[in-house]
Amino acid sequence: MKTASSSTASPRSKSTGAYADLRAKAQWVRKTVLEMAVKAHSGHISTAYSQTELLVALYYGGLLRFDAQNPKWAGRDRFILSKGQGGIGLYPILADLGFFPLSELDNFAGVGNLLGVHAEWNIPGIEVITGSLGHGLPIATGMAEAALLNHEEHLVVCFLGDAELFEGSNWEAAIYAGHRGYRNLVCIVDRNGQGVLGPTDPADRRLASDNPQLNPVDKKFKAFGFETRVIDGHSYADIVSALKDMRSPKRKKPLMIVANTKKGKGASLMEGQRLWHYRVPDGTDLELTRHDVAQG
Amino acid sequence: MGATKFILGMRDRYFNELYKIFERDPQAIFITADNGAPTLDQFARDFPDRFINVGIAEQQLIGMACGMAFEGKKVYVYAIAPFVSLRCYEQVKLDVCAMNLPIVLIGVGAGYAYDIMGPSHHTVEDISIMRALPNLKVYSMADGSSAAELAQVVHQDSSPQYIRFDRAGIPEVYASRPIAIEDGLTQLRQGKDVCIIATGVMVHTALAAADILRQTSNLNVGVIDAFRIKPMNAELLKQYLHNVDRVVTLEEHLLAGGLGSAIAELLIDHDVRIPTMRIGQNDRFVFEYGGRNAIWEKYGLDVGAVTSRIVKWVRGESAGAPDAPAQTPQSEPHSARY
Repeated sequence: MKTASSSTASPRSKSTGAYADLRAKAQWVRKTVLEMAVKAHSGHISTAYSQTELLVALYYGGLLRFDAQNPKWAGRDRFILSKGQGGIGLYPILADLGFFPLSELDNFAGVGNLLGVHAEWNIPGIEVITGSLGHGLPIATGMAEAALLNHEEHLVVCFLGDAELFEGSNWEAAIYAGHRGYRNLVCIVDRNGQGVLGPTDPADRRLASDNPQLNPVDKKFKAFGFETRVIDGHSYADIVSALKDMRSPKRKKPLMIVANTKKGKGASLMEGQRLWHYRVPDGTDLELTRHDVAQG
Repeated sequence: MGATKFILGMRDRYFNELYKIFERDPQAIFITADNGAPTLDQFARDFPDRFINVGIAEQQLIGMACGMAFEGKKVYVYAIAPFVSLRCYEQVKLDVCAMNLPIVLIGVGAGYAYDIMGPSHHTVEDISIMRALPNLKVYSMADGSSAAELAQVVHQDSSPQYIRFDRAGIPEVYASRPIAIEDGLTQLRQGKDVCIIATGVMVHTALAAADILRQTSNLNVGVIDAFRIKPMNAELLKQYLHNVDRVVTLEEHLLAGGLGSAIAELLIDHDVRIPTMRIGQNDRFVFEYGGRNAIWEKYGLDVGAVTSRIVKWVRGESAGAPDAPAQTPQSEPHSARY
């Protein structure tokens, strides 16, 4: 069986940010996530797959400011992974960039390992604890307010899941962010349209277990005072285009990127399938998924 | 007819001291969830960049404080006590305590201070739940002078802290007496027969009960103000309880997990074997009106009832256990009352 270790054989190359390079990184991230989860028998694979292109673009596409050798560098952008269950999809990137050794990926959620299922603040490159949903955006508003008070130029980037938006705390925070007009606050919603039990916006509510209606997400945030942009969250052209002016002083409002994605993107077995929220494939399912991921 | 006389309560005595700290420390931030105080207006007026009202939104209150504390701020958050403790408990657990941030949670209206406002505003569970959180210090103050003394100590302490204040109108204990905040507790009276360990407004009840017990029952009763409930100063408490025959804990709080529980745990853990009786509220919500005294009288928290409980216990007329919790629903179902 392949292990996470062997999947990390991908060179720690310096991505140039060219889309081909980003695609190669995304393929490596998906492959690594799968092997981490398989070895640990645990991990949110499909949620990691919906966010892959967004995180790869942020970290390898020259969008986020960070210093992997000095994770607490004062000038870094504060990146808050509010959907803490997506940690498994961020850890390979952080390791590849040198925030911590790649070997930490080998024993995901194992004895003595740095990395667990949810993002924790003690991990280099992770700012805050976000295993419980709805915590990231309120915290982000505090960081944005403090940055203004301190006359600091960095951004606060809050990465949310869409089903997370059912937590009311996000809307408490959105009221205040809109009121204050934080132009240093950038939010990205991984709009994969799936909760745990079912879709967030069922076309016809056939199952009582489906989630409530969440749309229109963009109009809701716009009404709360955000500038909103709706993009294809798997398109590097869209992602880069939507974020290229995120530091512009001309912006006067907090920015909300609604990134339409597919949960389980890249794994035919999992795409849009609710059963795979917290499930690890084995047998022929694993063979198929490995095959899919290898295709990129 | 003269103007209404306004007496500063413990919260406002604290805020006045905090104002002086804000003058000196530009990193100090105050966030309220739309809760005011007569002494708060000066913060909004003089430190407009550092005074924030997030509206009635306690999750945002704590989350925002967390984000600011991460960026080097010393953050004070303020709301009515149940709303800054119970309403946003998970935020306090994760955003404040688990990340061990310099955030001070200030709650006003301890116990039944908001007497006629019903269970939504009664705060008789906060000691239990707040002392369960690792890293969090828990203060419960008995008067304005001690609250004022607390301010500087709290500001210099970078750990998460929760302070429960009573409303205005509570008499003074420390007006002409020094208090060592660092000690966490004060022995207000020495007494060998019984030592009453009380917190918050019940410190005053304990002092009155001690007087009565001395006069009417010839009992030598000590009183300890346990104003820092967590961490409790075990060594000092053990010292004060040396040669004391009996311990009574007294709180305007549920018995489940409150001060009495904390003391009982401490005595067990330190192998201190002294007969102990807990006085507090049993397992119930209170819907009665008529004021705080009416609640105390109905549920055995007034001076007379406390005195009587202690006398009976000392004379062997009761086992010292609290009234047995109701085995049946505490009140009739709503529909059955009409």
